[in-house]
Amino acid sequence: MHIMEGFLPWEWCLLWYVISLPVVAYGVLQIKKITEKNPESKPLLAVSGAFVFVLSSLKLPSVTGSCSHPTGTGLGSVLFGPAVASVLGAIVLVFQALLLAHGGLSTLGANIFSMGIIGPLVAWLVYKGVQRVNGSTLLGVFLAAALANLMTYVTTAIQLSLAFPVPSFGVAFNNFMLIFAVTQIPLAIAEGLLTVVIFDYIMKLRPDILENLKVIGTKMKEKVGAVM
Amino acid sequence: MFNNTLDSYAHYNNLKNINTFFKVIFAITTMLVSLISSSPVVPLLIALVMSFLIVSQAKIPWKFYLKFLALPFFFGLITFIFMAFFFGVGAHILDLGIFNLAVTEDGFNLGLLTFSRILAGFTCMAFLALTIPMTELFSELERLKIPQIVVELAMLMYRYIFIFLDEAINMYHAQETRLGYSSLPKSFKSMGMLGSNLFIRTWIRGEQAHIAMESRCYTGSLKTSKSPESLKNAGKRNLILLVLFELVLLFGVYLTSNFSFF
Repeated sequence: MHIMEGFLPWEWCLLWYVISLPVVAYGVLQIKKITEKNPESKPLLAVSGAFVFVLSSLKLPSVTGSCSHPTGTGLGSVLFGPAVASVLGAIVLVFQALLLAHGGLSTLGANIFSMGIIGPLVAWLVYKGVQRVNGSTLLGVFLAAALANLMTYVTTAIQLSLAFPVPSFGVAFNNFMLIFAVTQIPLAIAEGLLTVVIFDYIMKLRPDILENLKVIGTKMKEKVGAVM
Repeated sequence: MFNNTLDSYAHYNNLKNINTFFKVIFAITTMLVSLISSSPVVPLLIALVMSFLIVSQAKIPWKFYLKFLALPFFFGLITFIFMAFFFGVGAHILDLGIFNLAVTEDGFNLGLLTFSRILAGFTCMAFLALTIPMTELFSELERLKIPQIVVELAMLMYRYIFIFLDEAINMYHAQETRLGYSSLPKSFKSMGMLGSNLFIRTWIRGEQAHIAMESRCYTGSLKTSKSPESLKNAGKRNLILLVLFELVLLFGVYLTSNFSFF
């Protein structure tokens, strides 16, 4: 869910820009470090960003009949970590605004905060958490993608009800959540499943990529290799 | 589903040769004015002026433009209706008689304001997107002191988006002709295959791109042929018109600050 251009009053646009910029700046520093260390990662990061864009423009098959788009942030964050995912997410959001008219420029800060920061952060924490308790990789990926999607929407609902606290923040939040809950919970599950299928195929076909990115350990690779 | 005609209009429109920086400043400042406006009058005016410029000056076909505008328009309309019913505590101006639903005064005003701001912001963004090719926007980004690495990533991404969209469409059609989307479980399987295959292909492309760049003397930074234009090239008349236009709008914001329909 992108907040549309012009939807937020200017005070809130400014606030979300101020909050989002330091995080994105940190991500940029991170990317600079990575690309200086190994220059071949630059085109790889770029094609990954393009991949996230294309993925997020695919229509997600949804149970409720309504079609929506996966956010793609869960997968990006599991693969590259939240800092890099936030920069890629920010660039993707600019492209979505200018090429597809999704989202907007004045609401860019707010959208970066929900889709580029909260989403990836949740996904990364969940994925690492599941790994810590020795849960299966695929379960981790599912939970990471589904919860990242869901938390993105909850954040959007909070942002909207902060901007329009009529009659009060709580009531507005309830209103927004009511609308989102009907459409978003099935979508979050759908994105989780889709990400698992994608991740599963990548793990079967090119486990070396995931290993290079340190998403799965060497042990996991041997296990996958044995299955093949 | 996949639409890249927006980009082709950006390359072939009548305002293409006007100073890029000038167009950026024009769109952004107008957008800001509509954001600070507290009445729906000025944003609606901005939406009209921008639409006029896009259709009659930039010569974007109005059919395409209307289609482009349809999505935000209906979204804005739904928001308007939603806010009119649920976002007010003031006097009722229209009772539906069922479910205790009523349009309230402040809800109506807030909804109308948001609706007009969405339209205004959207037309400004459309002006940017339809009259400036993305590659020229990148050189403007460099002027704004955006780190070079971000601009480079954006440029590379922009190049690959269209390649991958093509591949995704091809795969999608291939799957569809083989009944890959005939049921929900199959859709998930097909979509997953598409996504993972796309990722692996993107990865291979990325590695190949690096080899290609390195064999063409890539040393860690991309050079663009076009240096940012100076604002002076825009011409004095245009600059004065710009300042006057924004001042008139600001004056309008001031005049209509207490205006509302109810």
